[in-house]
Amino acid sequence: MTVENFVFQGLIGLSLAMYLWLVSAGLTLAFGVLGVLNFAHGSLYMVGAYLAYTLYGRLGFDFAVSVVLAVLTVGILGAVVERLLFRPMYRLDTAFQLILTFGLVLIFSDLAKLIWGGLFVIPPVPGIFQGTVPVLGRSFPVYNIFVITAGIIVALVMGLVLERTWWGKTVRAAAADREMAAALGLNISKVFVLVFAAAAMLAGLGGAFSIPVRVVDPGTGTALIVQAFIITVIGGLGNLRGAFVGSLLVGVLSAYGTLLFPVFELFIIYLLMAIVLLVKPEGLFGR
Amino acid sequence: MRRISRREFLSGAIAVGAAGTLAACAPTQAPTQPASQAKPLGVDTIKIGAMGALSGAHADYGRQINMGLELAKEEINAGGGILGSMIETRMLDEELKADVGVRNARQLVQDWGAHFLVGVDSSGVAMAIGPILPELDRVFIFTHAATHRLTEELVYDKKIKHIFRISVPVYQDAIVAAYVFRDKLPQARRFATIGADYEYGRAVWALFKEYMKRFRPEAEFVGEAWAPFLTTDFSSHIAAVMATNPDVIVATPWAGEGVTLLRQAVQLGVFDKIQAWWQAMGGSVDVLEGVKGEVQANAFKGKLWATARYIFNYPDTPENKAFVEKFRQRWARLPNYSAETTYSAVYAIKAAVEKARSLETSKVIAALEGLTLKTPAGDRYIRPEDHQAVYSVPAGRVIMDPNKYPIPFIGADLVILKPEDYYRKPPFEPIKF
Repeated sequence: MTVENFVFQGLIGLSLAMYLWLVSAGLTLAFGVLGVLNFAHGSLYMVGAYLAYTLYGRLGFDFAVSVVLAVLTVGILGAVVERLLFRPMYRLDTAFQLILTFGLVLIFSDLAKLIWGGLFVIPPVPGIFQGTVPVLGRSFPVYNIFVITAGIIVALVMGLVLERTWWGKTVRAAAADREMAAALGLNISKVFVLVFAAAAMLAGLGGAFSIPVRVVDPGTGTALIVQAFIITVIGGLGNLRGAFVGSLLVGVLSAYGTLLFPVFELFIIYLLMAIVLLVKPEGLFGR
Repeated sequence: MRRISRREFLSGAIAVGAAGTLAACAPTQAPTQPASQAKPLGVDTIKIGAMGALSGAHADYGRQINMGLELAKEEINAGGGILGSMIETRMLDEELKADVGVRNARQLVQDWGAHFLVGVDSSGVAMAIGPILPELDRVFIFTHAATHRLTEELVYDKKIKHIFRISVPVYQDAIVAAYVFRDKLPQARRFATIGADYEYGRAVWALFKEYMKRFRPEAEFVGEAWAPFLTTDFSSHIAAVMATNPDVIVATPWAGEGVTLLRQAVQLGVFDKIQAWWQAMGGSVDVLEGVKGEVQANAFKGKLWATARYIFNYPDTPENKAFVEKFRQRWARLPNYSAETTYSAVYAIKAAVEKARSLETSKVIAALEGLTLKTPAGDRYIRPEDHQAVYSVPAGRVIMDPNKYPIPFIGADLVILKPEDYYRKPPFEPIKF
């Protein structure tokens, strides 16, 4: 095993991590603020992927335009879901929320089957992602560089908005104590709908970004949501910093697991989760 | 003279009317179904239960199983059924999970009353269903699941005679691959796998190594990476295997996962470095549709080799042409191999039941053993020892020719081996993996 191969595998792991981060960021944001453990996050990812596929692959829009339109649409869908379905649920037991979001998974999956058919789809590779960059004597995909950049930008923007802006303060106040924040005159229901729309947009972004290299089918998002849950558990439920670090750990470790222990690489992620749960049950960054 | 009451008149009129109706029907019914022996099997319908993957990235295989099943049913019923009994079908989703498959089999037989079972995509599911068949007392004709252990261990060693397989097993995915690289790539030394992380992928890699080593003692098996079902990112698997500088990569993820894998391999520049990529189930219609853009753009640089348990462009026979034509008319798609194998399985049931003139499991088993059948894929012979159908399918490079087909097909450097060259024969030496 040469040093070059080792570093290269780490870069592949980094792009995997940033891709997982895009998905787990929205999941953990929704939980942190709204307190909703949204199983249907993977479905929003799927809708983003299908919309981007339709716009780019079928209707011939530019890839960037398709991604933006898909993300905005999923955001609106998220706002509608929050207003109509989640709002009456906040007062009820968490179990009802779980049943609701799980029901949404089934409904979205069947709707996708009705609209796009049961067969997977994949569009042609957009021109900008064709080709590779030589890295350490090997070929690194332009696409992966793009995903790494997007992940870092999303992390920076989220960090800045939440830490440095009035809006961020409002969101954090609502997350910390929604009744106190409401008593102080903050419009909690507005915060909730916007935060959930933002979380949905992150899911949609993950999905829309995925279509150049992944097939989309009505089950897309199921496997990803499991990984995103592992990441949020490792990082601490509802903690964005935790989700970022958790994504890095899972992405990079699974890439190295594949390289160094090909026979039981899956085991490594679950081992990581087990250790975190034993040592710090609230997650690395959990309170 | 007695007056005819209204009631008598009416009943008389009905009787005459009924007789007239019967008389009108008689000429059309009598010749084909004399009342005494209309249903020699004693049932109105023969129920064939099926299962396959109907959800997720592998869903097209189940759908194609269903298309083949329905087409065969429609043809046979239009021709008067099997000895006068019509075929009825029911299809369930196996979800690629062993426990779901076992539950489906029980439900189809015990609740619905299936006489025969066909289908199954996953080898893991097939290995779980096999052992419960004697208890259900039904024949199961597997039409896709490919592990050699199904027929070698469960039928030949353990004598579970209820299992039959109409599709060629991993002898094709693995042993044909070894022949192809022996003959077509004499320079290839370093072999690696990106494998489907379950029974099927493990079996292919073990068998491939065994035969490649036999053909080329200096062959080295340099790398392996295993991807379970639901993998959506293969880049770490590809990068890990490429770190070992392979000449040839043997890949067994199938369906949508195969398409994702190939797309990501192109992205990682794999086809600039290797001599050949063997996509074991790359000759499957959904995969060929999925990689159409890459084949057209020559992204695989002519290095994509594939096979399938049947492919629409082979053999060049009237039976196959007719089948492909009927299938395209009925479903507006080209038939995948799971459609052809299931279609042929229904015809095998028909032939066996007509031979046995019974639905009794033991009699149908006896009739299926040694059966020869003309099918779209060519002549099939069901070996009595292991209940494996023997026939030949090609391997070769994937090319595009819009003048012939709307999607890519296995059309260049065709390697067509005689089944006796690459089918393992009883007694089977176990393969370690």
